[in-house]
Amino acid sequence: MKWYCPSFLLCAFLSCTATDKTYQNLPDLVSYNEHIRPIINNRCISCHGGVRKKAGLSFLFPEDPFTALEDGKPAIIRGQADSSKIMQRILHHDPEERMPQKAEALSGYEIALIKKWVDQGANWETHWAFLPVNNPTIPSSPSSPHPIDRFIRAELNLRSLQANPQAEKSDLIRRLYLDLVGLPPSLETVDSFENDLIHYEQLVDRVLAAPGYGEKWTGMWLDLARYADTRGYEKDAHRDMWKYRDWVIRAFNQDMPFDQFTIKQLAGDLIDNPSTADLIATAFHRNTMNNDEGGTDNEEFRVAAVIDRVNTSYEVWQGLTMGCVQCHSHPYDPIKHEEYYQSFAILNNTADADRDDQAPTLIVYQPLDESRADSIIQFISGLNPGKNKSRIKQLESDLNELPSASLPILTELPAKQKRVTRVFERGNFMLPGEVVRPTLPAILNNQIKPDSVSRLAFAQWLVSPSNPLTARVTVNRFWAQLFDKGLVATLEDFGSQGNRPSHPALLDHLSWKFSNDFQWSVKSLIKYIVTSETYRQSSNASDVQLKKDPSNSWLSRAPRSRLSAEAIRDQALAVSGLLSDKMYGPSVMPYQPDGIWKTVYSNLQWVTDKGEDGHRRALYTYIRRTSPYPSFITFDSPSREYCVSRRITTNTPLQALVTLNDPVYVEAARHLATFMENEPGTLEVKISRGYKRALIRDIAPKTLQTLTELYHEAARQPASEFSPLMVIANALFNLDQFITKS
Amino acid sequence: MDELRLLQELNVRKLQMQTRRHFLQKCSTGLGALALGSFIGCSDSGKPLQGINPLSTKLPPAFAKAKRVIYLHMAGAPSQLELFDYKPELAKLDGQECPGSLLEGRRFAFIQGVPKMLGPQYSFKPYGQSGTYVSELLPHFSKNVDDACVIKSMFTHEFNHAPAQLFMHTGHGRLGRPSMGSWITYGLGTENQDLPGFIVLVSGGKTPDAGKSVWGSGFLPSVYQGVQCRSEGEPVLYLNDPKGMDRNLKGKLIEAINTINEEALDTYGDPETLTRIEQYELAFRMQVSVPEAMDITKEPASMHALYGTSPGESTFANNALLARRLAERGVRFIQLFHWGWDAHGAGREEALNMGFKDRCKEVDQSMSALLTDLKQRGMLDETLVVWGGEFGRTPMRENRDGKVMTWIGRDHHTECFSIWAAGGGIKGGIAYGETDELGYYGIKDKVHINDLHATLLHCMGIDHEKLTHSFQGRPFRLTDTGGKIIPGILA
Repeated sequence: MKWYCPSFLLCAFLSCTATDKTYQNLPDLVSYNEHIRPIINNRCISCHGGVRKKAGLSFLFPEDPFTALEDGKPAIIRGQADSSKIMQRILHHDPEERMPQKAEALSGYEIALIKKWVDQGANWETHWAFLPVNNPTIPSSPSSPHPIDRFIRAELNLRSLQANPQAEKSDLIRRLYLDLVGLPPSLETVDSFENDLIHYEQLVDRVLAAPGYGEKWTGMWLDLARYADTRGYEKDAHRDMWKYRDWVIRAFNQDMPFDQFTIKQLAGDLIDNPSTADLIATAFHRNTMNNDEGGTDNEEFRVAAVIDRVNTSYEVWQGLTMGCVQCHSHPYDPIKHEEYYQSFAILNNTADADRDDQAPTLIVYQPLDESRADSIIQFISGLNPGKNKSRIKQLESDLNELPSASLPILTELPAKQKRVTRVFERGNFMLPGEVVRPTLPAILNNQIKPDSVSRLAFAQWLVSPSNPLTARVTVNRFWAQLFDKGLVATLEDFGSQGNRPSHPALLDHLSWKFSNDFQWSVKSLIKYIVTSETYRQSSNASDVQLKKDPSNSWLSRAPRSRLSAEAIRDQALAVSGLLSDKMYGPSVMPYQPDGIWKTVYSNLQWVTDKGEDGHRRALYTYIRRTSPYPSFITFDSPSREYCVSRRITTNTPLQALVTLNDPVYVEAARHLATFMENEPGTLEVKISRGYKRALIRDIAPKTLQTLTELYHEAARQPASEFSPLMVIANALFNLDQFITKS
Repeated sequence: MDELRLLQELNVRKLQMQTRRHFLQKCSTGLGALALGSFIGCSDSGKPLQGINPLSTKLPPAFAKAKRVIYLHMAGAPSQLELFDYKPELAKLDGQECPGSLLEGRRFAFIQGVPKMLGPQYSFKPYGQSGTYVSELLPHFSKNVDDACVIKSMFTHEFNHAPAQLFMHTGHGRLGRPSMGSWITYGLGTENQDLPGFIVLVSGGKTPDAGKSVWGSGFLPSVYQGVQCRSEGEPVLYLNDPKGMDRNLKGKLIEAINTINEEALDTYGDPETLTRIEQYELAFRMQVSVPEAMDITKEPASMHALYGTSPGESTFANNALLARRLAERGVRFIQLFHWGWDAHGAGREEALNMGFKDRCKEVDQSMSALLTDLKQRGMLDETLVVWGGEFGRTPMRENRDGKVMTWIGRDHHTECFSIWAAGGGIKGGIAYGETDELGYYGIKDKVHINDLHATLLHCMGIDHEKLTHSFQGRPFRLTDTGGKIIPGILA
């Protein structure tokens, strides 16, 4: 390989291109993170990263490019661009030698940036997300009382954009309710808000205190927890997981601080004197799949479960794609292959082992029986076993008669039975390599240096002040639920291949407040966000806004987003008056078409629940992984096979068929029709009331005219069980504005 | 950039909408073809471009031979040793103990201790000009061998059904990846916007072991998942109008919904609203086009005789005929599953000398008819047909719990199994790959599942290394990190 490069060539190149005026815009100080890293990530790292290290060169770790390569020389000599190989190779006259190889050359501007950066000393910077969160200064102007608005408007001003005024009250209250409880407000609440009998802040407090609040946010969390009611794979048999779901609802409703919420789920069994609730929380990581198919190797699927726990833990709390590191060092982020297995070792000593009996499990009771069971257990423990033998026997049989469930939980193996963890070559458990100790990836951990990190210490580290990612990743998730898009758009990837934050200072401001001022209180965080003017503004879009900011990255308007699968159904049941407010308990089986479950080697049956349980919130619907509830899947709910940070919203004809024809929506239309029927007044009044009930806003004259004509069209048909007002209700459930949040 | 272009298109479409007449007269090609433009043009941010029909046809490059796939999956894994991989030497060893060298370090689902070798249970003969060996259990197919390429050297890494089916259909033995049909519709869209682009038909009374995950879209948008069409009940879920809803009134209803949605479009300029308007029109048309496509009673008697169909039931024969009807109508990927091939010998239905014979009868005539029918219509050249299971069966007789079993059967086997492929881009009348004398290992031209996928995608005009989607930080593809095209089976 030829390595010489006549420097006159370099000079010639730069002198003839430096006159190009784009280079007058070179920054005074070239920043690695802002200017250089994007070039390296897009153009260099796939050959010079964690997987491939061509010519021995990698750009992953700060020492890499400055150490001697295979030919004895480093790629970069600080302060000496002209003598650095990196410059020689990207400027090489021979296309075979020129970097990036077999790809388009770097632009003149990119080359000039790299040259200036090397000449200025080639200062390396840690990726932004791995730097500690600090408390940034709030922009002083523009003058807005709410810090969030100041951060947002500072960016709008830079782009000559104006924030929208506040949304119509009816739209705002609908948005707030759908966002915070996943249901529309009642007409009475709307009236009192529209007539100023209740202020916005009071409304926010009321919504945060509603039981439905916990149900809504649990929906988000269960996607991350890959919660389902079955085990996956062939038999996909039943598993009692609902008690964990109920724990999450209670945790959100009680505003359990997020640090506690984290520790209990990852290591509730290891804290001092864990309560029953703490043990229930550990079912988070028992949502991994089991393979009960005849003739499977239990160790193979136990290992698969632990791998899933590692990947899920890092995605949920760190926004890191650890899955990449299973087979080799991370191609883009500075995490080494063995570091994956050091984390694996932390989670590799729980007692579960892909057994058919799901052991270890915890006996749990249905909500109504819980206190009775507790009191019996307490009473028994107070009795003297010698003296009260028959009494105890009687009480125990009483206890056994209470319907109970076996919740899979985490417990740690005793010291003698601890498993040894080895690196798996290429991620294959049949190819074990070097033994590794349980510890944390170096890039994330500069504080704790124990040689053996327990599962509890791991959980505590995630929520410790030294962890740069947990608060950022978490506030970003909540922000994304409220604004349709995260400040970091890639909720699941805060690594160098993820998107950079649109508002880095705002992200840090929120992260700082969340973990310090708010003491990890999720309700405080949400209240802080929804009381901003940015949240409250209208979503109408002017031509200027569409042109300057088509994807609404700068939030000069409130976003529009389609409701989730769950919210679409809950909303239809709510506005028709069918929705049950019953909380907790085993998952339910509302109407689903016949013949959906025809699974091999399984007797599991879908038995449609009658009465109240047929109309529970979607959150309580039984989820079978290999055959999920069909209308939810149609509206993009995941099958809960793995952790999902971000649902992808699609827009398909099959969705139209659901809201038009699914008996669930037909039944809801019948009840909303009855509501309209019972409203006193003319046909126009009835339709207007139905519209208001469903969409919360007042009907526009044109819409009223369209619907009235539709009514008359329907009335001309021979009488059928689909009454004309049902046709109107059916139409309302299919309006863009009904299934979209504005 | 894309978003700005979209806005311009949005304005054009708005104008069109103001001037158009009744929507039912309008043909919807969507604005997708325009905007997606380049082949495999989905943005790899994971979101289909907003306001665009993600299933619009994308033009494959010139080297594409096949326009569509019909994939016939025999769930449970049929025995290659009774159908395609003729092993006279194995017959001589029948009843003898299996050599220890074949058992050492191996994992089996049920075999324990030292099993006995089991010779082929049926007789074989060479057929056609190619002289391809086929068992007596497939008398119809033996007449079509010159159209098909039998691959005898397939192998897999998964020895349990659910993971092996996932591997076969998603390129990975764990849940969560997109299926082949999803990848192909993601890459190519579909030709008929009035029907789903990826249709699944199931027979044998059960869905496959891995459930609906084998036609799931994994991390791709759900618009690319397979849509199960059913012979009983509604052909597609929620397709039928509710009781008392008149068809004309339904038209008026959708018109009213779209009129109001157009007002919303004016206010918010949201491209999703525009897409929604089009999807409601499409849903209305699908309510007619799907039952029409699924109605095999309209086929002439000669067709029913050819396939051996029995209208009204969910048989494999009916589904094979449906597959041809769907192929004719431009459906991109048609996936059939027929369950019941898991011939362990643990019961009558699972016995090589009983249930297995019935399964062969259920599929032989109709799978051959499908080839004959496609050929006489001139469609075979552009339709890729694949038949096979998820792994093979052992040359040893299964001895569950170490005991001699009442019925004859074979255990799961990963080292080799046989499949066949025909039509679009595949060389007919050849047998590819070889196994050893016992039918235990592949010894020549071994074909990995990733290789098969790479080759199928190649026939569809797709470079398997370029059809990628970023998820959890890295670009994924159907062929994972492997896959080599098999030139030896290409026409």
